[in-house]
Amino acid sequence: MEMNIYAYKCKKCGHVQYPYRTICRNCHKNEHNEFDIVPLPKSGKLLTYTNLYTLPPDFEVVTLGLGIVELEDGNKITGQLNIDKPKIGMKVKGKVEVVRRDEYNEYMGMIFYPA
Amino acid sequence: MAIDLEKILRPIDSPIPEFPPKLMTLAGGEEMVIRQVGREEIPDLLPHVAPLMHVERDFYNIVASRVYAELLGFYTHRVQDEYVLVAQIDGELAAIVNGRRVSAEVGMSYHTLALRRGLRVGAHAFAAKMEYHIDILKQKEVLIVAESPIGFRRWMIEYKLEKRFDIPHELGGVPSWALTSELYDKARSSLVVGRRPVPEHLLAKAKAGITAPSDPPTPPIDLLAATRSLGDSTATALIEQRNKLGGS
Amino acid sequence: MREVYVAGIGITSFTRLEYPLIEIAAYPALMALRDSSLDKIDHLYVANMGAGRLNHQTGLASAVVDNLSLTPAGADGIENGPASGASAIKQGFLAVASGMHDVVMVIGAEKMREVNNLEATEFVATLTHPLAEYIYGVTLPSLAGMFTRLYMEKYGVTSRHLAMVAVKNHANAMLNPFAHLHEPITIEGILDSPEAATNNPFVADPLRFFDCCPVSDGAACLILTSAEVARKCGRPMVRLAGVGQATDTHAVHDRKDPTELLAVREAARQSFAMAKLKPTDVNVAELHDAFTILEIAESEEVGFFPKGQGHIALEKGLTKLGGQLPINTSGGLKAKGHPVGATGVGQAHEIVQQLRGEADKRQVKNAKIGFTCNFGGFGNNVVCLTFVREN
Repeated sequence: MEMNIYAYKCKKCGHVQYPYRTICRNCHKNEHNEFDIVPLPKSGKLLTYTNLYTLPPDFEVVTLGLGIVELEDGNKITGQLNIDKPKIGMKVKGKVEVVRRDEYNEYMGMIFYPA
Repeated sequence: MAIDLEKILRPIDSPIPEFPPKLMTLAGGEEMVIRQVGREEIPDLLPHVAPLMHVERDFYNIVASRVYAELLGFYTHRVQDEYVLVAQIDGELAAIVNGRRVSAEVGMSYHTLALRRGLRVGAHAFAAKMEYHIDILKQKEVLIVAESPIGFRRWMIEYKLEKRFDIPHELGGVPSWALTSELYDKARSSLVVGRRPVPEHLLAKAKAGITAPSDPPTPPIDLLAATRSLGDSTATALIEQRNKLGGS
Repeated sequence: MREVYVAGIGITSFTRLEYPLIEIAAYPALMALRDSSLDKIDHLYVANMGAGRLNHQTGLASAVVDNLSLTPAGADGIENGPASGASAIKQGFLAVASGMHDVVMVIGAEKMREVNNLEATEFVATLTHPLAEYIYGVTLPSLAGMFTRLYMEKYGVTSRHLAMVAVKNHANAMLNPFAHLHEPITIEGILDSPEAATNNPFVADPLRFFDCCPVSDGAACLILTSAEVARKCGRPMVRLAGVGQATDTHAVHDRKDPTELLAVREAARQSFAMAKLKPTDVNVAELHDAFTILEIAESEEVGFFPKGQGHIALEKGLTKLGGQLPINTSGGLKAKGHPVGATGVGQAHEIVQQLRGEADKRQVKNAKIGFTCNFGGFGNNVVCLTFVREN
């Protein structure tokens, strides 16, 4: 089954927001749960990125690529990068995979690869 | 008779190549020379190590006490195949590192004592020690332990050391970690720096004399210093002084 | 609203302090009481971010008010991330301006060196959005790294500009006995020498080690009073003339243009509007340079320089001591240190010293108007203060 990161579409004005907010950022009229849950697209272009070298202790890698991607629908998302030589503006494609593990839990999130 | 006994007590050092001195620029733009010192210079080091034995912070007390003993052991021929490297900034003593050749293939890292804090002085000195074991002595691995959390993070994590927990380290018999030549090769480009040869005048300056560190680590202030403000060795005492003098 | 004055100030070194957090908080209060010749207060605000998590101490305000034997004065704790300090000053301002209290003490205190650097960074990373940022390993340095890359691409800022901020602020800190880092660094040492890449390794590229603030302990204190009380205290009259605060999206990616710090722009606008002043009136400013890029970006957003021109002003030396508008004369967060909850109060302390003419070797001549920008999260909660020297 393909996994997705979900965004929240306001039932009143149709605005899609990610991450979740209790009140719609666009129309401010919405209340809790009046959202349709819609999957975020996975393709987009890389807006900016970094390689982080001082990692939180639960990461067992030397460096971690992180970036902000503008998705096809105009929404933006922060994700991990699995890209050798990232470049601002490059096309990327995401997959939902394990991004962090601690003792008992695995956290799923978007990892981007070159498109 | 006494002479004969000394012969028994005194180990015979193996002939080993010397560490060629090197030079590096610190973040502050200062030039630091790292070079090997022989027995004749040990008496110049001891007076700068002694005060640190009473600095009860960041494990300076235990590290300085052990370094003092190791330097004395080296000086009086009580350790086999020990070496000592020093880092100097404009003659001033910035760090001491030492260790021992265990066999042709294995080295034993003893201590890294930074007398100047910050600016990676200790890290550069430690890297020079690893360079000596792996590149100069051509050893296969160096056994390492850390006594302080700072040391542990620096050496074990930056160099990604391997466990050699079956081998007790000479410092306290605790489980060893190892820097293998493969791990060293991986770290070489990012952690091991320095230029050779050291320009004549800088080397001459370093050899002319080891001078006292200008800002060595000091004992922590009294725990009650905040309320007994004059005991506060931080700059807060300055304002206190000003208040007392009735100035602005 | 009544006018609000700073009648007393105090500070500890921003460094590693080896006494308990409560005493760290109490010490500058002692100095501020002495500075103002007051011995009673109506209310205490204590700004702190991590006591519960780092120091096993909750209810810090109650502990401090008792340690200072100031009970039964009211005491509140303020936690607003790295903007806690200026937030607490704002609360003190409101309390005096409203007429509710005449004498309010504001302390910012933090003891972060209880844990190691990685744990401290991880603690500060709890500011980020839990699902959209934190789980990915996002920390404040990584947000700053992404911000810097975009800024460089868009405005032509280079690593050399960033290094110039670090060198300038380290040089200022050399003149500040309370600063954490007394390390005079050079461009040669951190950028050009063959060893620079090792001396100054990447933290979150393009940001390097010397682009990031240290992890510090420390505390600072301000006593805010009505005009009547301030005149009796007899210290030079420094008025807290403008207070502004604004917020922005929690997740950084959610902003229309991630290089714009809208909360900084809005908080500064409000602060100047209340003070009836313009950015060009300012003589000395403390900006929140947790990362070198932020000094450049904030100097534009608060209105000192046009957008995209902050690094040019820096190049020209306008922001140096002796320049047209000296920024971060204390050394800034970069070199003075960044005990998160104390930082906003520490910034105000520096500005009050400057406006009183008590800043010794780092004194800006004839400084009459000072400004601080205290930046919480990655720009999602910002407080700007404007101070004016009278008489």
